[in-house]
Amino acid sequence: MKATFKIFRYDPDKDKKPYYKEYTLDVEPNTVLLDVLNDIKWHYDGTLTFRRSCAHAICGSCGMTINGKNRLACQTLIKDLDTSKPIKIEPLKSYPVIKDLVVDMNKFYEKMFKVKPYLVNDNPPPGREFLQTPEEQKLIDEAYSCIWCGCCTSSCPSFWADDDYLGPAALLKAYRFIFDTRDTLTEERLRIVNDADGVWRCHVIFNCVEACPKEINITEYISRLKLKVVTSKL
Amino acid sequence: MSFKSSGNSGAFAWFYQRITGIFLFVILLLHFTIMHFTGTGEITYENIVGRLSDPYWKMLDLSFVVFALYHGLNGIWMAIQDYVRSEGWRAVIYTILVLVGVFLFFLAAVTLIPFGLK
Repeated sequence: MKATFKIFRYDPDKDKKPYYKEYTLDVEPNTVLLDVLNDIKWHYDGTLTFRRSCAHAICGSCGMTINGKNRLACQTLIKDLDTSKPIKIEPLKSYPVIKDLVVDMNKFYEKMFKVKPYLVNDNPPPGREFLQTPEEQKLIDEAYSCIWCGCCTSSCPSFWADDDYLGPAALLKAYRFIFDTRDTLTEERLRIVNDADGVWRCHVIFNCVEACPKEINITEYISRLKLKVVTSKL
Repeated sequence: MSFKSSGNSGAFAWFYQRITGIFLFVILLLHFTIMHFTGTGEITYENIVGRLSDPYWKMLDLSFVVFALYHGLNGIWMAIQDYVRSEGWRAVIYTILVLVGVFLFFLAAVTLIPFGLK
């Protein structure tokens, strides 16, 4: 079948402002969008630039805005898109565009590192694994499947308004360690998220939940964080 | 020093937004029941005087005003913090919101407290 892809193009070395370029090609309904982009780049227009790596929804490189929704190109099937009109593909909103669909993720990573996205445990090693009960594990089961693609933070209206806001991805990461019974940095982590640019900028809009390619209920975890902050002695 | 909401993080504002929300929900249910369903809320002078001569009604209505003002103005302040980045403008708007709150509470108090007293 034929489908048209209307792709955001911007090369700061050549273009004064961004524009959209349309590519019409034959595609199979079961093809993923990333393969279509590769096809365009390899056979029609070598100047098209986008990030990709694993192509299996694990690396989080190919996050982009597809028909207005943030998702991964590698897990978006053409048959799930409306092909009766051009499919609009844009870089993730609110991150600066470097070229075409490639955005500068530095600010996103800065926030991720602000919440110390690693396990801290000052206790002497027990000589074997740090054990958890299944119930303790269940608390963070979903939250640790975040792949840092940035789709959620880019979809968050609070982040559009205030790019100092930690954003859903960093808050989810904070949740993942605060509610991890093996982690001992809980109080410091709570102090980091208990900030005017932290957890309190979340207004429960749910865009992050809709955007997350891993279907993580991010807003729910941020709400649990808020409750944890107000019920903790900080 | 940055200019932030009551408490320096927003935890206080978030928590009391919820508390006042719950209170307003309960009191609004009460209001609707009395005004629209039980038929005792007909707006006549006698009816109002009768109700407002009761100190418990006065207290309930005054707390309604306080909670509604806090909830509404705090909500505006949260939205302002999203969009207004300049500390100076934030200070100006915060002051205006506090003054509006104090003024409206004053109006409510001078209306409610003496009403029905002989």
